[in-house]
Amino acid sequence: MAPLSVPTTARLPSTLRVDPSNPTATRILGRLSRPSLISVALDWLDDGNLPLAQPYLREPTGYDDDDDEDEYDSGDFYPPARSVEALREIYISMQARKGSKREVLDRILEGDWRHGLTLYQLAMADLQYLYDHPTSQKWSAYRIVPLKPPTDPSAAEDDHPPEVDDESLAIPRFHPSTFLRSLQAQVLPDLKAHYNFDAHKTLPLLILRIFIIDSPYNTSHGFQASSSRGRRTSEATTSFDSARTIYIAFPDGSPHVFISKPQTSTTTNSSIPATTTSSSSSNPPTSIPGTKAGESSSLLTLLINDLPKALSRPQKRERFTLQPTSLVTRNLAELVHRRGAGRTNAAGGGWSVYAGGEDEEGDGKGGNKAKRGEGGVGQTPLDLVLPSPPLSGDTDDEDREEGGGKRPAAATVGLSAADEMEQRAVKRARLVARARFGRTATIGDGKGVERVDVVVEDEFVPSRKEHQEREDEDNDEDEDMDAWRPRVRLTFHGPHVFAGIRQLVECGIVDGEKMPGWMTGEEGVTVGAVRKGRIRGHKGSGIP
Amino acid sequence: MAASLDDEIEELQAKVASLKKQLGIHMTTLLTAKSTRQILLEPPHPTTTLTLPRRSNASPVAIDEATKLKLLDQSDLQLAHNQECLYRACATVTTFRARDPDPRAVDGGAILGLRIDVVSRTKFLRPYYVLFNRPYSGAYAGRYLRVHRHTLPPCIPLAGLAARYLPAPPKDDSAGPAKQQDLARFAHALRREVVRYHHRLGVVADLRKAAGLARRRKDAEGGDEDGEEDVEEHDKPPTATTQLVDITPADAEAKQLTLEWTDGRVGRLVMDDDGEIVKLVVLGENGRDREAGRDLLGGATRVEDVVRRLAALG
Repeated sequence: MAPLSVPTTARLPSTLRVDPSNPTATRILGRLSRPSLISVALDWLDDGNLPLAQPYLREPTGYDDDDDEDEYDSGDFYPPARSVEALREIYISMQARKGSKREVLDRILEGDWRHGLTLYQLAMADLQYLYDHPTSQKWSAYRIVPLKPPTDPSAAEDDHPPEVDDESLAIPRFHPSTFLRSLQAQVLPDLKAHYNFDAHKTLPLLILRIFIIDSPYNTSHGFQASSSRGRRTSEATTSFDSARTIYIAFPDGSPHVFISKPQTSTTTNSSIPATTTSSSSSNPPTSIPGTKAGESSSLLTLLINDLPKALSRPQKRERFTLQPTSLVTRNLAELVHRRGAGRTNAAGGGWSVYAGGEDEEGDGKGGNKAKRGEGGVGQTPLDLVLPSPPLSGDTDDEDREEGGGKRPAAATVGLSAADEMEQRAVKRARLVARARFGRTATIGDGKGVERVDVVVEDEFVPSRKEHQEREDEDNDEDEDMDAWRPRVRLTFHGPHVFAGIRQLVECGIVDGEKMPGWMTGEEGVTVGAVRKGRIRGHKGSGIP
Repeated sequence: MAASLDDEIEELQAKVASLKKQLGIHMTTLLTAKSTRQILLEPPHPTTTLTLPRRSNASPVAIDEATKLKLLDQSDLQLAHNQECLYRACATVTTFRARDPDPRAVDGGAILGLRIDVVSRTKFLRPYYVLFNRPYSGAYAGRYLRVHRHTLPPCIPLAGLAARYLPAPPKDDSAGPAKQQDLARFAHALRREVVRYHHRLGVVADLRKAAGLARRRKDAEGGDEDGEEDVEEHDKPPTATTQLVDITPADAEAKQLTLEWTDGRVGRLVMDDDGEIVKLVVLGENGRDREAGRDLLGGATRVEDVVRRLAALG
């Protein structure tokens, strides 16, 4: 520990050790499962990470080691290992046999890292938890949009807030280390943060973990007042209560950022979903869920203000700002699908046939609207051989579809007309569902949103609306103020909301042909207001 | 034994595949030939039945009416496909009409589609689509388009192009006359961006190939230990090529490339829209390594020159 602590604006160093009895440390490690704990410990012992995660080893005495072995073993339940290799073997052997999680946890906290866990180790453990529980965080997607360069540099920023530059062709670029340096410059000096970058294991994402404590010191003073050092307990509680973790995910090749809701480190894991639900339901759905009153919201706004500044480069006249995109979900795969680098950002629902599948190239049987040229993907212009597989695949598919509908009918000739009608209706519902949803919203695709909030602001009598629809597209607000608009709020809940709606359409419970477009999820938003059957003013798909 | 049997099966399957491919090519050639078409199109008047025997002396295959129709169908398909290939290779931007399945869609669900075909690395890519609707009312109804859906990746500045060439009409009349929309210029600019993007990606792939990254990965790992680059430089003259371990695009638009050398040097190559090299910075252990940068470029001004240089050295 540093003998002297001076308040600075520097970030928390990765090598800073946290006392193992610190509740933050025990909580972060305690929520990992036994296999994850062991694999994290082995990661710490990896050569690349070792400088930042040095375990507590036996002092090299220089004499014959056998002599002092007893001395160590006598009072110590976890005798320190002789070398890193030996320690590695211990953990590998633990991996092989069964046992309790407690055993591993105690060994880490009271044995091999009794002198403290570095912030880097805690970050690795926390990220491991994120990979183990991918839905543990609630992410909001923001778009990075370019700003117009200020016309008058001398004018105060407050007078003329810079406008969004619609015509800019610049695509924001992201460089992790530069970004981190400028972000650190933006963070207030009374907060201390530790940053850790990690590439997501399966998705094209770069995850930045920010661990924040309210302390002006960047030495272990920030953590010092733990319960073991009882003299400064009052300060201790403030310091730990306010320790928070925020994740920011940067999708590769996409001008978006995903920001997780800040989590205070002392809340238990079970209470987190409860708080998020209550807070977001008490919010008006048009605002960004997560703007909870209190410090976590101020931190979030601080971050949302600081992030674009950290991304901007004023010398090159490139300034950016963040725009919320009304997409909040726990599912990172969905976020990458909707706001990632691919073609599917603005082609949801039935339009997904145009985007094509990410994995199955040239699979032309995506839907009725698949264009003839779809079969020619991956062909060379000079290869004139007729592309038979996609075409025949298509016809096969149709045949199967037809046959599937007809065969039972043919087999049971005595089938009543009502049954036949029913079968036809079922088949039609399935086709309609395919037309409306395309390839999206299937239960197994792992890209589900768990909550969708929609406010319907349509007027009550639908016939007048049909009539007016073509006339007053833009100035409807002032004209039909007299019409009664009941405020209807719909909230869809479930593991995969739009797949659920698709199933309802396939069962014929929801009429797929009359269903409004926002129910297919093609807008790519989870929060929105519906006017004239369409989500209005959202900043999701298409052009903002 | 089993292994040899498997090998044999694999070999035979490969043979079958290649024969099938050959058959396809022959079929295509025959179907595309003008004379084939002529024979197929000959009207089935009674004289043919008389002439057929004489022909069958030369080729004993007589074509009955059903086969002929089938062949004609196939021939039509083939001609259509030929035309499509030609069209996709030359025209590259196509418009089409579509319908919005949403029953509450604006303008009765009428959609104008724009399809952009890109050929990259001798292959057709999956076309990009931009779908427009006409949501505006009043004087602008039916004339002003708005991008409704699209399948372009976010590294193409579609929003900026749309704001430039397809400006929305003013909300109220006081704002003055509306700017004209120009769909042709929009399509032109958009396609240009798309093609540039794919060319840049192609150049990155070429660079990787020229640097022999796939081949030399193992050597690079072996040579990692001795960090003395000077020694190596004397051993092997084409230093820049043999030491490159990685070339990856560093940003969404693939305008910046990250170069990595075996000895831990990293470089950043910045090119502009058209592939001209704007800047190359190489950072070694002791700050900037200008020599390595000059080594790599060798006076090249375009990325393609670097590709050629690397290929020649390697």
